[in-house]
Amino acid sequence: MLHSQKSISILTRWLIPCACVLGLALGSGVAIASNAAKTGAGANLLETGSSLLYPLFNLWVPAYTQSHPNVRITTQSTGSGTGISQAVEGIAQIGASDAYMSDALLKQHRDMLNIPLAISMQMVNYNLPGLNRDHLKLSGPVLAEIYQGKVKNWNDKSIADLNPGVKLPNHSIIPVHRTDGSGDTFIFTQYLSFSAPEWGNSIRYGTTVSWPAVSGELGAVGNPGMITASKDNPYSIAYIGTSYENAIEKDGLGIAMLRNHDGDFVLPETKTADAAAAVMVAKTPKDERVSLIFAPGADSYPIINYEYAIVNRKQPSPATAAALRDFFTWAISPSGGNAERFMKEVNFVALPATVAKLSADQIAEIQ
Amino acid sequence: MASGILELREVSAYAIGRRRRFFDRLGWTVSALAFLLLGGAMVWILAIILLSGFGSLTPEVLTHVTEGTGGGLLNAIEGTLVLALGGVLLAVPPGLACGIYLAEFDYGRLAPAIRFLIDVLVGVPSIVIGYFGYVTMVAMLGWEFSAAAGCVALAIISLPYISRTTEMALRGVPRGLREAAYALGANDRQVVMGISVPAALSSILTGVLLALAISVGETAPLLYTAGWSSYLWNGHLIKEPIGYLTYVIWAFITEPFESAHRLAYAAALFVTLFVLVISVLSRLLLDRSASRFRRG
Amino acid sequence: MSSASLVSSDRLRWRRISRAASFRSLTALSACLVGLVLVLIILFLALYAWPAVQLNGAGFLTQNNWNLGNLYGNPVTVHGQTILPGAQYGILFLIAGTLLSTAIALLIAVPFGVASAMFLSEGVPPPMRPWISFFVELLAAIPSVVYGLWGYVVVIPFLGHYVFPFVVRWLGFIPFLGGPSGSGYGLFTAGFVLSLMIVPLITATLRDALVEQPRELREGAMALGATRFEALWTVLLPAVRRVLTGATILATGRALGETMAVLMVSGNALNYLPGNIYTPISTMASFIVSQLDSALQDPTGMAVRSLAEVALVLCLISIVVNALARVLLYYQGHQVQRAF
Repeated sequence: MLHSQKSISILTRWLIPCACVLGLALGSGVAIASNAAKTGAGANLLETGSSLLYPLFNLWVPAYTQSHPNVRITTQSTGSGTGISQAVEGIAQIGASDAYMSDALLKQHRDMLNIPLAISMQMVNYNLPGLNRDHLKLSGPVLAEIYQGKVKNWNDKSIADLNPGVKLPNHSIIPVHRTDGSGDTFIFTQYLSFSAPEWGNSIRYGTTVSWPAVSGELGAVGNPGMITASKDNPYSIAYIGTSYENAIEKDGLGIAMLRNHDGDFVLPETKTADAAAAVMVAKTPKDERVSLIFAPGADSYPIINYEYAIVNRKQPSPATAAALRDFFTWAISPSGGNAERFMKEVNFVALPATVAKLSADQIAEIQ
Repeated sequence: MASGILELREVSAYAIGRRRRFFDRLGWTVSALAFLLLGGAMVWILAIILLSGFGSLTPEVLTHVTEGTGGGLLNAIEGTLVLALGGVLLAVPPGLACGIYLAEFDYGRLAPAIRFLIDVLVGVPSIVIGYFGYVTMVAMLGWEFSAAAGCVALAIISLPYISRTTEMALRGVPRGLREAAYALGANDRQVVMGISVPAALSSILTGVLLALAISVGETAPLLYTAGWSSYLWNGHLIKEPIGYLTYVIWAFITEPFESAHRLAYAAALFVTLFVLVISVLSRLLLDRSASRFRRG
Repeated sequence: MSSASLVSSDRLRWRRISRAASFRSLTALSACLVGLVLVLIILFLALYAWPAVQLNGAGFLTQNNWNLGNLYGNPVTVHGQTILPGAQYGILFLIAGTLLSTAIALLIAVPFGVASAMFLSEGVPPPMRPWISFFVELLAAIPSVVYGLWGYVVVIPFLGHYVFPFVVRWLGFIPFLGGPSGSGYGLFTAGFVLSLMIVPLITATLRDALVEQPRELREGAMALGATRFEALWTVLLPAVRRVLTGATILATGRALGETMAVLMVSGNALNYLPGNIYTPISTMASFIVSQLDSALQDPTGMAVRSLAEVALVLCLISIVVNALARVLLYYQGHQVQRAF
């Protein structure tokens, strides 16, 4: 048989059937896709960012798209740093972030809006065999020293002083921190900076900080990574958002009581968050970029924050702008996204009316 | 030696000494053990993937798109197919032409230089290509996360493999075939496209299949070029992210939700099965082409 | 011949030549374009990273300080570059992580690879040989992220809960094997998973080389009284020494650039060097993936450019290693049959 004839037989036996199958598959895929796209001239929105806000977004999207089938929202948990940078670059329409944009970044990108959608909290969790049910008392300065490696052992005097009568184990502490650009890091380091001037002057705060090298420390990616690292390592300490409180309780990790601005030790609960919000909300400026950390008040929980949607004021198409405005309006409404049933699932607090009004004003600017 | 005739000496029944025999047995045992451990690890990995994967399969996985951390994998499967096929299709014409040049027209210094550059391109880590793609296509060209950026990144990764295997496949074609064709008055194009390439077609296809397998398994470059989408591809080549299976494997296994883990295992299953099928196919093709030349 | 037919045959010849020439030059052009892709990537990285190179200087490679600076502060000018206050970029820990994990991977993979190749070339009965070597190739085809999944789900708990504490308890006196047994994420785990990914490369290449050796070598050795194993060990293996070196270097190149599997099991260290084999590390490739998004937050853009510098260093190391391997393999005359 001539070689060209043999190659034709290969063609007929392999290539052509394969090509047909693949072509069919692709074709049907595109057909399904364009069909889906045809059902509405709506918008495709990409939400990326905060792992703290991610569980809430995953509750919002199915609820919202049920009543608004023309909008398709993809959610991603990538960290607040990613949320900010991709929203700024225009790659994602909604950048979810626990941290507001910095002055320098805002100066470069003047069209960005920081719109609070809810108020969230952060826990400090630890994994101490036998002590995970008791809420250990910790303070900002002590945490700062733990994360700097100055307090190395669980039965150190500074921790024992805060917890009289508690039998602390003699074991080195394993501090866990986030390695990705994280809003959780931002609010945690703000707490450390505001309550411990020594941290505030050296390491300061940010979505990424230069964590001091502490022997035994672990880096984790995302809130889920923090949970896994904490669970797998007894004697560890970590900072995790309250939207994961159910997972924390299921894994049996401990939740610490933190010392607030007035010196009282409080747990991350709705009433302590409400107390802190009541004090700090009045300080919210028009662009809503403000820290709620370390609020004064006897009952205030020290680590609460606005959950921001970082959005560009100028959208490429009116359809996208309208879709964004509709979604955000629904999200901040007490009958929509800020309803009790959503807030309770993730242990967040709804936006107070004054803040909701400020957010609504910012939402109206999206064109 | 002579004095030993009357001594009682144990005479070995073996032709080689005890020490050599010991090392011989030791050597085979060690190498067999090494291979068994290797094979064992392989079986372990495959078993975990197949068992967890099949255990996580529900009809929903194949019929629904991803909803947050649950749902199905329809969008990811479609996205992987689009990206891998798109990348390979982009890479085949230049890769094929390049392989033809390196095999057929290897005169002078240009060919060795290009061969060197291509071999080096194989060694460039895929994340570097992904970073390059992000800065150039996604950011500078303004394509944002897109199927186009993903396909181009995969094409760059596939190019050296296709070129290399095409070149080696063509080199395997006996010279006599070409010389006969030239003697009959054919020109370059007729000889190459009419004689050499069809003769080496199976091996060339092996290279294409290899590139396809690599594209299906890539993650790092796609993270920063294709992004992620929970919806089926709407046909836009730019400014519209697209989903793919390897993203699910990487991102969902770390989420603390059971539904996410199930999707991750299912995605790992699909990717591994796909790669297995391609390996089997390319083995079959290679055996076919080898046997043809033995016969002919 | 009449002048008319001369002209027509000239035209025919010219058309034939030009068609032939254009086919040849078309393929040459394609080949040049493909070759240029690499040059383009490196040039781009070098140009993009140049401001970072100017800022960081030689300290980039010798210091352990990757610091984006005060993200919420106002940019300042240092060394002629605008950066955030306190920003510094030193990646010694990345270089250490990359080289150490690759070294551990090689320490495990080379002996196993050589032993397996010997077994595959001689110890397996001929009818089973194609099946077994296909099996080995399959290991090479499994994607990196699937290895990462397996490592994350299976290897880390296994090593962290059982193997590491055991080793620390009984072998802790050996340097680098002592100290806290860690969580399972770390240098050794990364090296172990990497070794599984590169061992098929070594095994397959070496096995092919061994099988291709002329029969006379083996027969000569056996005629002199060697056992089959001795023939392998003393005659055949030394004969393929250069191929082994080349394959090892190729495997090194692959291990240096591995991203996803390492990202999922290495523990993501920042700014410290590992004290023992259980400590978390970061490699250059996994660092780029995990830090690109944080770096994009830097309004001055210096963080992204420093990441480009990391990519450039990684690229250059991989290129040198791969080039070395290819030169060795070509010199031997043994073409790498598997395009890895």
